Amino acid sequence: MGPTVRQASLILLAALVPASLTAAFHPRRPVWSQETLAPGEEMLPTVLAWGANALWVDARTADEYETEHVPGAISLNLENWDQLFPKFLDAWTREKKVVVYCSAATCELSREVAERLRKSGISSVYVLKGGWEAWKNRK
Amino acid sequence: MKLSLFLLCLFAGSAFGQLAWATTEQTFNSKPQDKEVVAKYKFTNNGTKPIKIQNVRTSCGCTTAALSKTDYAPGESGEIEARFTFSGRTGKQEKAIMVATSANPEQPTVLKLHVYIEETVKIEPEVVLWQVGEQPDPKVIHIAIANDASVKLVSVTSDNPAMKVKLTEVKPGKEYEAQITPESVGQPAAATLVIQTDYPPDNPQTKYAYARIK
Repeated sequence: MGPTVRQASLILLAALVPASLTAAFHPRRPVWSQETLAPGEEMLPTVLAWGANALWVDARTADEYETEHVPGAISLNLENWDQLFPKFLDAWTREKKVVVYCSAATCELSREVAERLRKSGISSVYVLKGGWEAWKNRK
Repeated sequence: MKLSLFLLCLFAGSAFGQLAWATTEQTFNSKPQDKEVVAKYKFTNNGTKPIKIQNVRTSCGCTTAALSKTDYAPGESGEIEARFTFSGRTGKQEKAIMVATSANPEQPTVLKLHVYIEETVKIEPEVVLWQVGEQPDPKVIHIAIANDASVKLVSVTSDNPAMKVKLTEVKPGKEYEAQITPESVGQPAAATLVIQTDYPPDNPQTKYAYARIK
């Protein structure tokens, strides 16, 4: 092996270590595939296929909900839980799949609301991957 | 020589021109009366060039991050103040603050804030359900008061006379059972259980649980 090849290999190896660490631990690392889903997450096409069986829950702020929301979605957030949760219960049935969304893939509100719903005893709760942005950009 | 080259390549990206943080992770245990926590993340520009903080983002609308100025000369120190407002959240919380600087705009530093928010009054489950037509058997909601909280349970009432609630003290002052019994489950019905506490004295907390026949 010539010295040029050895040096090139060494540099590549040196670059590989931080790259691997970034890929494994960086909080905003890019997803390898759009199909990558966290536990409890669902992609928009799957949710759309559920049709009327899906109960949409908007976890964003009241102002954002008032401006625009998925048709038929119910507003439910942690700030106003006591006021909004009874309305959710009125709309919910055991057969429905609950789909929670917030503004974008990076927001946490949908995960927080989904977790609270599960803790309250509501089954079949999912988080929409990509949130409201995914809905707005649907084709 | 080869080892030096390797180490130089490995650490070149992070050794120069970065802010040095006193800590990037903080943990808090909140008291029952707390409504927010404030965490300060101190840093110093240890490089030889000025650094501009270009962007500070948080992972949640419940967390804000404040910075008194954006430009830091070599040797200068500063701090970012993160304020996490609980707004009904309980249990283990993890929030992140992403700080992008001119030294490394593509790889923001991630500051972490871990908070455990104690639930003063724990209600489990929050919802009890009957299916229309099933037996109208009673269902139980457990109510627990946090160990170090000076909170008393004053009453548990149902807003629907057709769904009766009976409160039993399991462990004096700390654990209770609310037994809910519907008169009939022949048709859909709803009740809200109002759980009244005496704390805080100036504006006593009311909690809710729900009963539904669906």
